[in-house]
Amino acid sequence: MFHRILIANRGEIAVRIIRACRELGIETVAVYSDADASAMHVRLADRAERIGPAAARDSYLSAGAIIDAARRSGAEAVHPGYGFLAENAAFAAACRDASLVFVGPPPDAIAHLGSKTAARRLVAERGVPVVPGEVPAEQSDEAIAAAVARVGLPALIKPSAGGGGIGMRTVLTSESAIEQVRAARRDALAAFGDGTLYVEHLVERPRHVEIQIIGDRQGHVVHLGERECSLQRRHQKVIEESPSVAVNEALRADMGTAAIAAAQAAGYQNAGTVEFLLEQTAHGPRFYFLEMNTRLQVEHPVTEAVYGVDLVHAQIRVAAGQPLDWASGRTPRGHAIEARIYAEDPAQGFLPQAGALRLYREPRGPGIRVDSGFEEGDAVAVHYDPLIAKLIVQAEDRERAILRLRAALAAFPILGVRTNVPYLLAVVEDGAFARGDIDTTWLDRQTEALVALIAAEQPSAAGLAAASQALARAERVPYAGGTADPWTTLGAWRLGS
Amino acid sequence: MSTDVAAIGPGAWRVTIDGNATIVWTAVEDGGVWVHTDGRVHYIANEADVRRSRARSGSHDLSAPMPATVRAVLVDVGAQVHTGETVLTLEAMKMELSLRAPSDGTVTAIHCRTGDLVQAGVPLVEIT
Repeated sequence: MFHRILIANRGEIAVRIIRACRELGIETVAVYSDADASAMHVRLADRAERIGPAAARDSYLSAGAIIDAARRSGAEAVHPGYGFLAENAAFAAACRDASLVFVGPPPDAIAHLGSKTAARRLVAERGVPVVPGEVPAEQSDEAIAAAVARVGLPALIKPSAGGGGIGMRTVLTSESAIEQVRAARRDALAAFGDGTLYVEHLVERPRHVEIQIIGDRQGHVVHLGERECSLQRRHQKVIEESPSVAVNEALRADMGTAAIAAAQAAGYQNAGTVEFLLEQTAHGPRFYFLEMNTRLQVEHPVTEAVYGVDLVHAQIRVAAGQPLDWASGRTPRGHAIEARIYAEDPAQGFLPQAGALRLYREPRGPGIRVDSGFEEGDAVAVHYDPLIAKLIVQAEDRERAILRLRAALAAFPILGVRTNVPYLLAVVEDGAFARGDIDTTWLDRQTEALVALIAAEQPSAAGLAAASQALARAERVPYAGGTADPWTTLGAWRLGS
Repeated sequence: MSTDVAAIGPGAWRVTIDGNATIVWTAVEDGGVWVHTDGRVHYIANEADVRRSRARSGSHDLSAPMPATVRAVLVDVGAQVHTGETVLTLEAMKMELSLRAPSDGTVTAIHCRTGDLVQAGVPLVEIT
């Protein structure tokens, strides 16, 4: 087992990995940019290494700075978390070349699965269903438009590189095909520097259901069921849950087998997620491989809750060469839901917010987990993703999990920056969500109405009465920079002199 | 209407209005105040705005945030309602919206019926 691990990330995921390392008796090395010198992940780690200025490209995305920090601190392994360098095959290879263990899949597996067209070809050869479509060898605009005609309308044109919905174009009429091809090419070149396009049949109103897998160096790959991630706003997941209301035991087994086949096709090791589109047809449900994420997912805690596992422990054990101890599979129990809490203002088009968390009190109780990189008094910086916390609830069934989520969201006061909590509450209180009657287009169709509902809410009489008292007393909740804490106001001093 | 405000911790208040208690969280910033009640957050810029809002909050008109169809009226005139209680459900853009009582009170008037198409901002239910 490792003696010391460097965590090449920040925020809640760095905190979560530091905690897992501590449980396993492994020392932790945090890295930080100038903007994060006093961030929670730095406060919690055993050691901390500065890796550069605030801009991510000069710090958390700087492979060289991170590998130098690992060498300086004597770390034996690097955990990349998610985002930043987590799916960067060159970084994984650079770690290997520096004799550091990358806690993730081998560089080749990341590279194979990083190209959507290569991944599609690879898994299709193993019999994993893919969305009907074509990857034209001839890449002229006319050839792509001809492929659209062969695939049939409605069709989707997608860039081979990248993700997040960038450059994706829907073709509804044959006359508009060539125009959409040109637009997709422009976007793909601008965003990814690679204009390679492919064409898929458009699956209308699908669900997004993904399978968690993990593999060890001995060649075992197991799956840990599905996560339903259909609640997305502009291709960003908002609420995730496990199990999915649309997946029964037989479908779970089929999707699990397909996910394992996809992982084995790429020589996969460590934790990963195979994303599928799930379509309800007259002949029952059909699923199609979408892509594989070669890292720990943001929403991994819902799987941990339902399967009773710790995925970060497992990632570290597998990276150290130990075999998986879940070879015979795990049995899911109950229901878990995660809501992502962001510093963003729904009333201003979800504009990211920055500022001090003047009051921040996490909810507590049975079945409530909060993964966060902030404590009261910390500031949300403008430089990074505005995720404040993930609220994960777990209960014996979906209905009770929704009750718990609603109550926990309402009991999570965050003051000082605008957050999406009121929006999350409006989603959770919606009848369609309660019925599980959702698809990947649902939230985008409802957001305008949900935001109008929030905007119409006036402060309650009780809130106004308390506001008046608070102002009268000018009571100030302690926050960074404004406290009279002796540890920050005392100068240098010495014990025992 | 009797209102009692008790400080119960840093930034935490128990507000009791006519016997009904609500926990409220506040943080003062730049002369204004952030207020959290049951997951809903408002920032009120200054004391004068608090007073104006309080003067209005004695009596509330509930209205639709957008053009909508009334799905159900869940109260009658004279009913006692509590903060957060759903008074009316609307349907707009194929979605169900709930209008909730912003404070405890009595329903003094209802200006719509199930099935009505209503415009944004027009009072549907009055609560005093």
